[in-house]
Amino acid sequence: MRNMTRVLIAAAALGGTLAAATGAGLAASHPDLKWTAIFDATGPAGAYGTSQKNATELAQADIDAGKIDAGGQKISIDVQDSATSPAQVINIMQSAFGSGTSLIIGPTLSSEAFKSDPLAVKANISVLGVSNTASGIPAMGPCVFRNSLSEAQIVPDVIEAAKKAWHVKTAAIIYGDDDQFTKADYTIFNAELPKAGVKVVDVETFHKGDVDFKAQLTKIKEAKPDVVVYGALYAEGAKLLAQARQVGLNAHEIGGNGFNSPQIIALAGKAAQGVIVGAAWYSGAETNGNAAFVKNYTAKYAKSPDQFAAQAYAGAQIAAAAVKKSHPSDAAGMCSALKELGSVQTVIGPFKFASTRDADAHGFIVQIKNGTFAKFGD
Amino acid sequence: MEWLVHFYALHSKLIDQIGINAIFALSLSLTLQAGHLALANAAFGGIAAYVASLLSLSRGWPLSVTTLIGAAAAAAVGAVIGLPVTRLRGVFLAIATIGFGEIALIVENNLSITGGAEGLSQIPNETTTWKIYLVLAILAFFFWRLRRTRAGWAIAAVREDEYAAASFGIDPARVKFWTFVGSAAIAGIAGSLYAHENFFISPGDWGFSRMIDILVYCVIGGAASPWGAMLGAAIISLLPEVFRFLHDYRDIVNGIVLLAVVIFAPQGIAGLWSRDQRGRKAAAAAEGQSR
Amino acid sequence: MFDQQLANGIFLGAVYALFAVGYTLIFGVLDILNLAHSAIFMASSFVALALVRHGMPFWAAFLVATAFGGALSVVLDRVAFAPLRARGVGGGALGPLISSIAFGIIVVSVVRGIFGPDEVGYPTGAVLSANLHLGHATFTAIDLSVLVISLVMMILLSMLLKVTPLGRAIRAVAENTKAASLLGIDVERTIGLTFLIAGALGAAAGILIGAQFNAVGILMGQRIELKGLAVIILGGMGSIPGAVLGGFLLGLLEVFSVAYLSSSYRDAIAFAVMFLILIVRPAGLLGKRAARTA
Repeated sequence: MRNMTRVLIAAAALGGTLAAATGAGLAASHPDLKWTAIFDATGPAGAYGTSQKNATELAQADIDAGKIDAGGQKISIDVQDSATSPAQVINIMQSAFGSGTSLIIGPTLSSEAFKSDPLAVKANISVLGVSNTASGIPAMGPCVFRNSLSEAQIVPDVIEAAKKAWHVKTAAIIYGDDDQFTKADYTIFNAELPKAGVKVVDVETFHKGDVDFKAQLTKIKEAKPDVVVYGALYAEGAKLLAQARQVGLNAHEIGGNGFNSPQIIALAGKAAQGVIVGAAWYSGAETNGNAAFVKNYTAKYAKSPDQFAAQAYAGAQIAAAAVKKSHPSDAAGMCSALKELGSVQTVIGPFKFASTRDADAHGFIVQIKNGTFAKFGD
Repeated sequence: MEWLVHFYALHSKLIDQIGINAIFALSLSLTLQAGHLALANAAFGGIAAYVASLLSLSRGWPLSVTTLIGAAAAAAVGAVIGLPVTRLRGVFLAIATIGFGEIALIVENNLSITGGAEGLSQIPNETTTWKIYLVLAILAFFFWRLRRTRAGWAIAAVREDEYAAASFGIDPARVKFWTFVGSAAIAGIAGSLYAHENFFISPGDWGFSRMIDILVYCVIGGAASPWGAMLGAAIISLLPEVFRFLHDYRDIVNGIVLLAVVIFAPQGIAGLWSRDQRGRKAAAAAEGQSR
Repeated sequence: MFDQQLANGIFLGAVYALFAVGYTLIFGVLDILNLAHSAIFMASSFVALALVRHGMPFWAAFLVATAFGGALSVVLDRVAFAPLRARGVGGGALGPLISSIAFGIIVVSVVRGIFGPDEVGYPTGAVLSANLHLGHATFTAIDLSVLVISLVMMILLSMLLKVTPLGRAIRAVAENTKAASLLGIDVERTIGLTFLIAGALGAAAGILIGAQFNAVGILMGQRIELKGLAVIILGGMGSIPGAVLGGFLLGLLEVFSVAYLSSSYRDAIAFAVMFLILIVRPAGLLGKRAARTA
């Protein structure tokens, strides 16, 4: 049986080569669509890139199995590791242009996107960002899309919810000032809190990789805010929560986008209880296919998916839906297919692109309760 | 020819990266040639990159002008820092310059004009392959000529033996200071080219890990030789792309290659070649004597 | 607030001191910057965590992982430094600096391959985390143990260097390798043992700090590595009491700069102090050796 498969594959490969050699006339009706996913599976951003890589590989399997419907079109996603190096993102992208890719998915960080997306724009290849949250990403070119919500889209709702439930009047913010992602939390909360009538009474910063935040938290405690806003990724975030308990800081707590990670609960344990987070997705979200996604991901990788994984998986769902609808055969077709997509059901909820190619979707406001993310207010 | 055009279309950015990294490597090799280990080149590159990019963005001045001003700014900061630190020996100079680099990063993260961690975007894409390699050629020519000048001789003398150099009337402190300033200026040129190549810069581009990369270029190629530095930059820039097929094992192999070069070719890859030459000459001389 | 901040500073200082003791030992003896020290720190922390997860009590895991760190440090010396010493490679600190970086890269990649890229913590209850109160300050039991252990290590190591034959041999090698070997000291063995001790100290630091902050991750060594430099410069290169004093000073300095100035410049202050010390008093607070060229 296995030998038979091998013979068939060999025959198919030979046939393919011959077709290519004779001018590719025969195979042109349904050629495989090639996409290239560029994620930082290693290096400092490896924890996030690995989730994206895993989810994309899961999506590939689901496309192959027909669980993600691409209208029968064969799609192969080449997942590459850019090692948290912008230079590698750029090189992978340029090589991909030469090998006939019709869509770039990624890269992981906004700072990488700012350096590499202009190349795709120049080469007329579409880009679908699945984790870039900085403002100005889709504005780089007419075929640069993203499905990741920027903080600006979620934060006002989070503040409203916190005001309503907790009657907060004063807030303190602590954020990582050397990271684009966490700095954005500060920029947006610091602008939106006063608009909602909440006074910012203290702002503190830390650096990526710091482990001791007690000095800043003690200072925040002195300022007696009603609510503390954390602009941090999970590694620093978990320590912030634990140490806030330790210094006796008993305010309400809001986490930025980076807090939406199962790791924060795993690391901070009980200290994470009660924190609310504005999220693009959470594992308990009752969106189309989410339960199956969480189950399959957990089974395959022995850990729960995080928001990076969900958004990467949704990225593949969105692009596949565009293929199903418009049957693109090349990069230009891929771009217009994404533009004409309309609304689609994904694991992060019903999704469509705004005219600015930004995500037009609603976030979730979730609260950490008894070791899991639950919808806030339930 | 068509193949070449195709190759360039696929790899032009990698070719550019090699050129810019080679300029960074040359900047470090200037201080290494004088025998001191200063690790602030990434920081100087960053300072020049910010100055040049801000000028391009606000004034629209051409790359040549912004790069020269950026490099001058880096050299000026280098002179201020260089006066006290170039008196430090060996590893202390290295540590002081690492400290300076960290301070520079923190300042870049906190200034509003640099955009902080959110960086500077939409920098005009003015760097091109020929500009990079023109600069590299000019610098290579400069380094080649330098060896035949009194200054070059003084640099070599200080590297070999500071006391002996002093007895020849060379002031080692002056040599160290000027190589430090020159190194900052060259790093500044590389930084400006990098900024105008990549549309975007942020403080993360100029951290300790980039400094280590630059140091690795020089050590792999051959610490005290500008040719070695350029060769090292090319090899190390290519390594991750060449080893891409190794997937998860890529970093381990990178580390092993690095370790092997340091241990088996302490003079770098360029050193392998020149030691061969010297060895052959020495062998020839010995043969001559025995006759 | 002052009480709490003082406590914060002292306990942060203990963390720095603990890391710096092993770091400064290699630095003092061999005059090389060992950038693989932080990789050993990190790898040992993972080993301890893995053992605890497999049911070993924390104290036993601590001992095993500390031994592992010492052994890994000896391997580091044999692979990355000994071949360079055997060749008498000059070129300042350059060769060993790079080979230690290369060794660090290899260790980090292997650890990532085994344990993955995520930061992980200890199972609940595995580590003492009770809150203690003193005056107006609150801290945890493990904070206190880190403080005690770093002081005990400093005293033991200082005594070892002062009174034992091995200590005398280490000091002789630190002073001058050639003279030491003329005195009949087995230089290679002494250096090997120095690496063993330094690695075990680095491992102990990694395990305790991982437990203290309940965070073990492949990047945990990177930040403290540079801070550790500031500590050993402040205290004086190669001086064990200096490393401890430098650790506490830096901890207090950072905490009070956050309390009374701005947290944005907290690290800048640490590195600025290091920079100034190098320029004004390169031997550090307790060091003796000259950092400047004569």
